[in-house]
Amino acid sequence: MLESRADSSPFWQPHDPEDEHLAEQVEHGREEHLLLDPLPPAENNAIVLESMNKTGKAFWMAVLGLGGLTLAFLATWIVQIFSGIGVTGLNRSVMWGPYIANLIYFIGIGHAGTFISAALRLLRMDFKRPIARAAELITLFGLAVAALFPIIHVGRIWKLFYMMPIPNQRELWPNFRSALFWDMTAITTYIIGSTLFMYLALLPDLAMARDHSTGWRRKIYRALALGWRGTEGEWHKMESTSNILSYVIIPVMFSVHTGVSWNLAMSIQPGWHSTVFGPFFVAGALFSGVAAVILVMIVIRKTMRFGYFLREEHFNAMGLFLLIMSFTWIYFYFAEWITNWYGNLPMEKAIQRMLTGDLAPLFYLMLFANIVVPVGTLWSRRVRTSLPAMFVICVFIQIGMYIERVVIVSGFLSRNELPFNWVNYTPHLPEVLITIGTFGFLALMYLLATRVVPIIPLWEVYEGQAMQATRRIGRAILPTRTESH
Amino acid sequence: MTKFMLLGLFDNVTTTATVVGEVRDLGIKDSEMEIMSNIPYASKIFGRKTPRQWFLPFALGGMAVGVLIAFFMSYITPRLYPIEVGGQGLTPVPPSAIMYFEFMALFTMLGAFVGFLLQNRFPILVRQMYDERITEGYIGVQVLAPSEAVMEQVVKVFENHHAAVVKREDAAGFPDQGMRHLLFWGGLGAAGLVAVLVPLLLTYDVVRLPWINTMKDTVVVKAQEGPRRAAPPDAVPIQGPVLIAGQPATERLPDTPESRERGAALFSINCAMCHGPAGNGEGVVGLKHFPETPPLDGERAAALSDDAIFLVITNGKNRMPSLAENLSPGDTWDIVNYVRSLGGAPAEAGQ
Ligand code: HEC
Repeated sequence: MLESRADSSPFWQPHDPEDEHLAEQVEHGREEHLLLDPLPPAENNAIVLESMNKTGKAFWMAVLGLGGLTLAFLATWIVQIFSGIGVTGLNRSVMWGPYIANLIYFIGIGHAGTFISAALRLLRMDFKRPIARAAELITLFGLAVAALFPIIHVGRIWKLFYMMPIPNQRELWPNFRSALFWDMTAITTYIIGSTLFMYLALLPDLAMARDHSTGWRRKIYRALALGWRGTEGEWHKMESTSNILSYVIIPVMFSVHTGVSWNLAMSIQPGWHSTVFGPFFVAGALFSGVAAVILVMIVIRKTMRFGYFLREEHFNAMGLFLLIMSFTWIYFYFAEWITNWYGNLPMEKAIQRMLTGDLAPLFYLMLFANIVVPVGTLWSRRVRTSLPAMFVICVFIQIGMYIERVVIVSGFLSRNELPFNWVNYTPHLPEVLITIGTFGFLALMYLLATRVVPIIPLWEVYEGQAMQATRRIGRAILPTRTESH
Repeated sequence: MTKFMLLGLFDNVTTTATVVGEVRDLGIKDSEMEIMSNIPYASKIFGRKTPRQWFLPFALGGMAVGVLIAFFMSYITPRLYPIEVGGQGLTPVPPSAIMYFEFMALFTMLGAFVGFLLQNRFPILVRQMYDERITEGYIGVQVLAPSEAVMEQVVKVFENHHAAVVKREDAAGFPDQGMRHLLFWGGLGAAGLVAVLVPLLLTYDVVRLPWINTMKDTVVVKAQEGPRRAAPPDAVPIQGPVLIAGQPATERLPDTPESRERGAALFSINCAMCHGPAGNGEGVVGLKHFPETPPLDGERAAALSDDAIFLVITNGKNRMPSLAENLSPGDTWDIVNYVRSLGGAPAEAGQ
């Protein structure tokens, strides 16, 4: 280490109080709060870079397992392309099955990323500092996987080019009055915006990786860091660009799942044709997205030894966020059903009857997973800070939200305006394999990304640590936060 | 006179701020100093002015591009290639609003990002004064000294404040990057523009190519125009009865007592409510909602061939709905056998 004899000390060497009682409190604060517990950046850089370089046995096992799932997905897809969409359980009334439910689900888990990094950034919530990038990566890969599903779903993909505005004399022109087109523009905007946003905040960490790695990694990081040195001008402009992107991307984020919901709500299918669908879907997306981020946090903390960065305080804050999203989701779901119930329309009644009949097990499992589990447990700080408990709760929420989408898409479609057309839907093997396979594919991409992308936004952590200190009030030492703007 | 580029590294903000002040006292302008750190420190912490920046033109420019694209999407295109949709104008306001919102948002973000890159002159393609310890938390002060004498003085300031590292080099080793980044982005942007424009020229029929499009090659048939054309080879094969004249429907089931029995059961489920339990045309639903439901036991039914009855059940006829979704071809033949037993003998022998 370099010696420094200057009288003021760097931020990672805070002065400890002489008084024993106070020193104890400072020690306690360090255990509790990441931002009060600075390490020399060189050490933190090393933690993150080492975790990226390490590819042990468990890593390759995971790659093998997830790669197997990905292969299963691809193989099933090829079979489906050869034999036609008829191998699935889709039928004339239920023409949107799990593929569309998956699309909604994967776009949904992508919502938390931007919310955490953009909205919490503008609100200056410190707890998001070490989490933001892990969340943004979910956004990117969630959207990428979601974008596969329309293609998987259409069948006859060799005619996919009919959907593009290519010259044709039959005037199969993409019609901007179609809800599908609104959704497509929203998703495109969102995926481009999220990529820019993530890359922008990644630059200083890429520069860090460039400075402290060797070989091929160094070359890649050098090119990607664009020559970042961290001058005042660069930081200042990055700040402004992030502000602009944050303000723009938040409404875009709302528009994405609203667009998805309009794909359903713009039709007159009973159960779909509802004005509350937009906000209801956005709430559901954030709900499942926050749960997905917590799951990823737990996994990377365990496997990449990030105990220093991801502490109880972060799980506590995210748990509270999850609880609030659960309330929001419950409120919208209730608002949706009570209008249905009061309206008393025969077709909507048919859907309600189905939920207590055929689909009852799914329906009640969903209510249990989305309402009873989070609301019954997350009020307790002990639960929020216990990783095994949070893992189980978040898995329940993923299951609950997945079922919600399947019930809305294929469940509701099976009861439409014409009782003549009523059918029931059971998934066949291809849907099951493709669905499970794409989950594996998403996890595989994420796993590989964690070895190339510094998954902890180190500069944000350092900034927080440099700007946070303790202040003595009476006999207590309390954390304080400095704004340098 | 040779100029010198110096870099000193300091491990804390207070010292850096003092150094900056003392270097300024040596007559070096703020613009010839540069501070580097791994944390965004506000410039006022070092007693310097906040660097200038101008994002508004980039954001507004991007927004304007978005407005143009949305206008093209929602106004020009529907007029070039009108598609009439029931009850909607060519450019209705609500979907246009969505287009304007999404494209404005997208291009505002892209504009801001381009502004970020251009103002920082990224990517930097020339050698820069730098030290890797900056990403370990050290704060770097880069000074451009106009002469060797000044350089010595600056080094002294650095050393007085215990700089962790002092680097000094001939400033000629750090050339100005000039317009190189513009060439880089200009080249990339031009390639991108071509990649977007070429398909657009094809799309909007500005350039016409003999495109591979099997749909274009299929014969155009007016509604109800005969004779019926053969389906293209990659069309979905039809299972069940075919309507092509002269061709039989699916293989008929032999007229056995078992088949009639099954037919009777299916008839009571699917037909009796309209045609009556005895097939006399007096079903409950039929009398109430479908007046003049024909009896199936009279001469009128006898005049129909088996295939005709099969097709009526499968495809429906006028007010009678198709029952193809409810009945398999085998079920349908069972019902045909049962209907035959009701009275009307087949018109043609053997059929
Ligand atoms: C919704 C009521 C309804 C049901 C159910 C129904 N039909 Fe009909 N059916 C009609 C009506 C009405 C017509 C007269 C159609 C027309 O306007 O030509 C008809 C016509 C027919 C004809 C043609 C008679 C003719 O002389 O043109 C046959 C044969 C027939 N039905 C058989 C059946 C059989 C077999 C079933 C059960 C599988 C059945 N229908 C179910 C209402 C019904």
